Amino acid sequence: RLPLSPCVAGERLCSTEEATAGSGTYTRHGFIFSSLAGCLERKNEDNELPVVSVVRDSESQLLPSVGAVVTCKVCSINSRFAKVHILYVGSTPLKSTFRGTIRKEDIRATEKDKVEVYKSFRPSDIVLAKVISLGDAQSNYLLSTAENELGVVVARSEAGVQMVPISWCEMQCPRTHTKEFRKVARVQPQFLQT
Amino acid sequence: LLCGPGLRRSGAGLLVTKCGLLRHRPGGGGAYWVDSQQKRYVPVKGDHVIGIVTAKAGDVFRLDVGGSEPASLSYLAFEGATKRNRPNVQVGDLIYGQFVVANKDMEPEMVCIDSSGKSSGMGIIGQDGFLFKVSLGLIRKLLAPKCEIIQELSQLYPFELVLGMNGRIWVKAKTVQQTLIIVNILEACEYMTAEQRKQALAKLSGN
Repeated sequence: RLPLSPCVAGERLCSTEEATAGSGTYTRHGFIFSSLAGCLERKNEDNELPVVSVVRDSESQLLPSVGAVVTCKVCSINSRFAKVHILYVGSTPLKSTFRGTIRKEDIRATEKDKVEVYKSFRPSDIVLAKVISLGDAQSNYLLSTAENELGVVVARSEAGVQMVPISWCEMQCPRTHTKEFRKVARVQPQFLQT
Repeated sequence: LLCGPGLRRSGAGLLVTKCGLLRHRPGGGGAYWVDSQQKRYVPVKGDHVIGIVTAKAGDVFRLDVGGSEPASLSYLAFEGATKRNRPNVQVGDLIYGQFVVANKDMEPEMVCIDSSGKSSGMGIIGQDGFLFKVSLGLIRKLLAPKCEIIQELSQLYPFELVLGMNGRIWVKAKTVQQTLIIVNILEACEYMTAEQRKQALAKLSGN
């Protein structure tokens, strides 16, 4: 790896005959241009051409991609959808939270019309969801929990105590013994820590 | 043992969450609850309330019901309403309806039909009349079956009365003066004993 040098967006780096485009770059008219303002990085491969990429910080921001499983926290609910803050992508925490939306018809795979958002999520629940779309102009990721392994993992009851799941649709408070409805995730045994 | 409003189970015991009088009903295993006086209304599913229309937003009316958030009422939630036959509701109208969705996390939703699709007394409240606010305890007393206050008042003048669980009462009598007299008596009933009320009514019917 050669020493890093700063570059700006739109700067022409080299031609496609000398290197291949990596992350943070794009090719036009046979040349590689930078699409970010950051540091130029050139990685030398043995058999193929070196890879040219532009990095912004020392660690690149991990963006949720379509199909990725994310961990999010519910901020508000509505009769049509739930708004969430995306906290983790896979197992890496995000430096700044993204906003996501879980629509009423994406909460469950079966019986989509009979779903009630109030009986699936509540504000401040931690939810495992999958990204189905990068979102519209307001940049809200569209998420879905329509699988057995997705849904609420941590929830607090109205008394403020963490609840214990008793089925795929109910959780119980250990102190007041009241049951509340949630769309509970069936977490795989290898991810549980006892 | 039934744990009613104002109480909450905590481990092996009961915690009181509202101040008031503890009441007990011995029948069927016993039920305990706390009778508390309150002026601020909290929307509860199934309650019949009087709402004031504050805005029309697309297919939905926004109503002020005296809670923390305005309630929403769809224009299709009236008896005999279809997409072409819209109800004639203006901003400032009074609506008597019930809650279908009312919890602390979402905005409340109201309808003016019951589960079978009939209006059963709900809908837009007519012109004239007088709307005023009382405490929630007085409303519960007036809604009890065979309430003496209502019976005594009906012997005085004939009038129309709508009671909303959010503390709002709408009254309409034949003349403005009769309406105002009924309003004053209902407001004063909060603090009068039965004796004082009978004396006041006797004085009025004597005049």
